[in-house]
Amino acid sequence: MNTILIIEDDSALREELKTLLTNSGYNVEAITEFVDVAEQMKNKAADLILLDITLPNENGEAILQQYRKNSETPVIMLTSRTGDMDEVLSISYGADDYITKPYNPTILLLRISAILKRTSKTVKAISYRDVKVSVAKGSLTREDKEQILTKNEMLIFQHLLDHVGEIVSRDDLMTVLWDNDEFLNDNALSVNISRLRTKLEDLGLEDAIETRKKQGYILK
Amino acid sequence: MRLRDYLRDHVLIFTVYAAALLIIEIFLKAFRTDRQAMGVVAVIFILMAFIVHAYDFRRKKRFYDILFTALKDLDKKYLIPELLEEAQFLDGKILTDALRDCGKSMTENVTDEKRKMRNFREYIELWVHEIKIPVSALSFMCHNNKEIDPKMKTQLKRVDEYIDNVLYYARSENAEKDYIIKETPLNRAFASVAGKNREELQMINATINASDLDVNVMTDGKWLEFIIGQLMDNSIKYRIEEKALEISVSAKKEDDKIKFIYEDNGSGISKEDLPRIFEKSFTGSNGRGTAKSTGMGLYIVKNLCDRLGHKIQAESEKDKFTRFTITFIDNDYYCR
Repeated sequence: MNTILIIEDDSALREELKTLLTNSGYNVEAITEFVDVAEQMKNKAADLILLDITLPNENGEAILQQYRKNSETPVIMLTSRTGDMDEVLSISYGADDYITKPYNPTILLLRISAILKRTSKTVKAISYRDVKVSVAKGSLTREDKEQILTKNEMLIFQHLLDHVGEIVSRDDLMTVLWDNDEFLNDNALSVNISRLRTKLEDLGLEDAIETRKKQGYILK
Repeated sequence: MRLRDYLRDHVLIFTVYAAALLIIEIFLKAFRTDRQAMGVVAVIFILMAFIVHAYDFRRKKRFYDILFTALKDLDKKYLIPELLEEAQFLDGKILTDALRDCGKSMTENVTDEKRKMRNFREYIELWVHEIKIPVSALSFMCHNNKEIDPKMKTQLKRVDEYIDNVLYYARSENAEKDYIIKETPLNRAFASVAGKNREELQMINATINASDLDVNVMTDGKWLEFIIGQLMDNSIKYRIEEKALEISVSAKKEDDKIKFIYEDNGSGISKEDLPRIFEKSFTGSNGRGTAKSTGMGLYIVKNLCDRLGHKIQAESEKDKFTRFTITFIDNDYYCR
């Protein structure tokens, strides 16, 4: 389980962030004393850090600069400012991503998982049961059968696979699709899911995706 | 200054001169002076008066000509006192001094107001950043607590939009450059805006067609997102209830320009309103019907586009479509 360190001085926001990340299956730690933040960051040994730019004593950008001198842990900057200057500065100081408040929770989670995937040292081949998943080719292979997925179907399948065994809401799927320039409407999502189901059935996987009324879908 | 006006202004003096000359001549006649001598006295008198007034007229004309030419040609008329020469006559000196005093006091006043404006603007920006923290916390609460009515999210999104409106208005009105022009992927900017409006768009069953957006434009990403956000906001507000909203976006490269075309199939803008939509507080026949229209959105959009050096144009046909075209410059000058 990945550990995420939250550095945010507003307590209400910090608590909600904790809940959000804990619910999404992360181990969460937070800093509550904002002195020597860079030092504390080093001692916490997290897999990813969420760092607010406007902190009481020090500026988040300065902390990042100091921290980056001897650490490679990915950092996502959080800010309520909407100037591009901050973004440019943060990235040049070595931030891995930059998100402005009020952030969309689903997008925040997507960014976190994308960065963790990118930086995790053990690159495991993506597979589902005995199906080989090739994102680059957009295909699923089981034994000698192969199914080609469209971009939309692959995005949906990947997201379900990332949360295998959990309920994924239609809303989350929509967020993922729209974040990838695929502006589907409700009907189109249903059509894509039923096509994906048919393709999985053709590979011999019956009922791989289960529908939960009013909640979403589960990949079993 | 015209000669006629000068003469008219000095009519009293000339009358006095004439009276004086008349009295002198009567006296001379009474003392039986020679007729020729009387004539010489008259000529000398008139000549003197002429010389004095010719000189006076010339120096005044010189002074006022400079004043009026400057007044006509000067773009910032309040700079007049800086341009005036030192006047060679009393009235002119008094006027110059008065103008300089006025100018100085006005400059002080304007500087003071500017400072107040800046303070206010800084306060607004600070406030916007602070208010975003509880808004963020609320949006997480909505997400974490599944029992919360999704309608609350929509309202929260509106709150956030209005906050952004304030921020960009404060910025667009000010000459300070708090933006950075850099290469920005058009598809990311559009996807981000579409994502923010996704729930509402889905609720009204809207369709989005995006094509060829895979280009980079030279702009400030955040400002561009705000601009597209305003356009999308209008599309949602002024849609035709009976037909599903359709938004089509595309990009086109033309010589050293990139055109971003944003079109919807909404209620459109009437011919009479079209030239005025970018004016401040203009609400038009569409806006007057609904309480939602403030007449600020497109005004801020135009302002931001001007600042960023983009051209924005609108075309529309009533009840058919509205199309906005934003033109970005794409040349070596920027890319270097």
